[in-house]
Amino acid sequence: MKTARRLFASEWMGLALIALLGAIALSALNGSFLTEFNVYVLLRSGCVTLLVAFAQMTVLATGQMNLSVGALGGLVAVLFGGMIEVLGIPLPVALVVALAIGAAGGWINGVLTTRTGISGFVITLATASIFTGINYGLTRAVPFYRMPPELVAFGDTHWGFVPALMLPLLVVAPLLALFFHRVPTGRRLLAIGGNPVAAALSGISADRMIVIAHVLSGTLVGTAALLSVAQLGSAQPLIGSDWLLLSFAAPIVGGTALTGGSVSILGATFAVLVIALIQNGMVLAKVDPYWVQFLLGALILLTVGLNRWRAVRLGGGA
Amino acid sequence: MTEVEAEGRSSRRLAFLPRIPHLGLIVVLLALTAIFTARSPGFVSAFNLNAMGRSLAVDIVVGFSQMVVLAIGGMNLSVGAIGVCTVMFAGYAMQIFGLPVWVAFPLAIVLGAALGAVNGIAIVRSGVNAFIVTLATASIYFGAMLVITKAQPYNALPREVGLLGQLRIFGFISPALVVAIVTGAALAIFYRYAVGGREALAVGANPRAADMSGIRVNRVVVQAHALSGVLAAIAGLMVLVRAGAAMPAAAGDDWLLPSFLGPVIGGVALAGGAVSVLGTALGAALVTIIRSGLLVLDIGSFWLQLFLGLFLLAAVILQRSGDLRRWRLR
Repeated sequence: MKTARRLFASEWMGLALIALLGAIALSALNGSFLTEFNVYVLLRSGCVTLLVAFAQMTVLATGQMNLSVGALGGLVAVLFGGMIEVLGIPLPVALVVALAIGAAGGWINGVLTTRTGISGFVITLATASIFTGINYGLTRAVPFYRMPPELVAFGDTHWGFVPALMLPLLVVAPLLALFFHRVPTGRRLLAIGGNPVAAALSGISADRMIVIAHVLSGTLVGTAALLSVAQLGSAQPLIGSDWLLLSFAAPIVGGTALTGGSVSILGATFAVLVIALIQNGMVLAKVDPYWVQFLLGALILLTVGLNRWRAVRLGGGA
Repeated sequence: MTEVEAEGRSSRRLAFLPRIPHLGLIVVLLALTAIFTARSPGFVSAFNLNAMGRSLAVDIVVGFSQMVVLAIGGMNLSVGAIGVCTVMFAGYAMQIFGLPVWVAFPLAIVLGAALGAVNGIAIVRSGVNAFIVTLATASIYFGAMLVITKAQPYNALPREVGLLGQLRIFGFISPALVVAIVTGAALAIFYRYAVGGREALAVGANPRAADMSGIRVNRVVVQAHALSGVLAAIAGLMVLVRAGAAMPAAAGDDWLLPSFLGPVIGGVALAGGAVSVLGTALGAALVTIIRSGLLVLDIGSFWLQLFLGLFLLAAVILQRSGDLRRWRLR
């Protein structure tokens, strides 16, 4: 009973179970689900989503939000494409500069939010529009197609069902977990989100932490954008245009509190897996792809409703 | 509330000028109009004024749709999704069911109210903030619309729709603009004199105090969201009439930024408790003038987003610094 309740209480365990049951159900219903290629496609589609989820999660941890994840991702992608195709900058340099642009975009968000004291919602709504405007203004919505062959090859490489695109995540996810659980700055970030007044009284600068969270978020967005370019094989201006909902869906479903102060890296990971399973299952079942958007929204509402119900139940029982 | 503050501010700094609310915004609007006209005289031609009037009407009502939920301290990210749903519903009703315009349009507005009310009920029942709930419902509404319509436009609409779209008052004023102005006047009266409007502002200013004074906060929240849905539907129908067809790309994400731009530039606080109908309309006019000016100057719509974002940022920062200055004066 006690272990059952503990399992019930930890969000990621429930999600892992749902993912497992979903996978079993899908493989029973459809023979082509458990093929090597399909699992590879499924995992590959989750890589970018998970990075985007992490990008939103780091900002949510401080009790802020970032509406510009997709816009910044699109901007980084096309600036990277431009550096390669128009300026002829070598790949390693372009990769580093692209990540720096992501970080700089995040820094702008953070500094504007803290310096002006205007809500992060309005600031990132405005910067999202600015980033998208620069993206479309520069490219006129025309993609850069001539990407370095080694990058495109990286996007297509897989060992069995394991895509090479997962490699960056195997580095980023543990580092992020380490940062939030062991590194003082990460702990302070969570402290600001959990209780700003108490954190400020213990000498933590909220402004500094919010800027750090946004810079981290921007860097993660930059990474996601580069993985997107590798996955698609071209630098599309439309990269990031569908990230907003996903960026909130995965952390929320994964148990990251919107009020700040908590993150769940495993939770977000399994949430992305569940989302990828839903998308994959619908493709296999040849369901109208328009259902995906409906189901994603319903999943968010269901989770917040369930969390509410659980909070009432557990709160009443204790 | 904001209007009073704005007046106080301008009178202190510019005591010799008569008290005009939103003076700064009006100056910016006039300056932009002058610049665009100087660069391209076609900007104030009857043709362009008519086109601007039609898009201004939509921008204003979209801004109102956001304003009414900002008033209670909430927000509505599904303004665009509700707009599209009502457009497609009206198209479906007229083309598939053969309903006349005067039946389909009111039904579409009822649908808008219902979708808005669903937002409000979900927010009240779940206790989750309006941001997440309306982010989710936007996706649900939009997804459902795509599933039902298969993303096919309805363009065999009754003849009356086309006639409505060609209607002009004094040769260049679009009837949509008249609808927007009447809507604005109704909202101004509602928030100034009607019990419902005063209650909404009280909830926005301080929900707990409102609750203690006997206001049924949950009901006010649902009502505000239903009203937001109605306004989104009206804006959607304006787009339908303008296009002469019901298209899935009628609104959607494109409405998100303008819906906030109008109220925020017009001085409506995101924290709730205050509205400014005139400010929202002027903020919407700024959106329209920038969009139309960029088109006339041939800068192209690709840079539009950049300018809208910059104006939003500049507006909120200017308002903020004005507030700070006022603090220091005290």
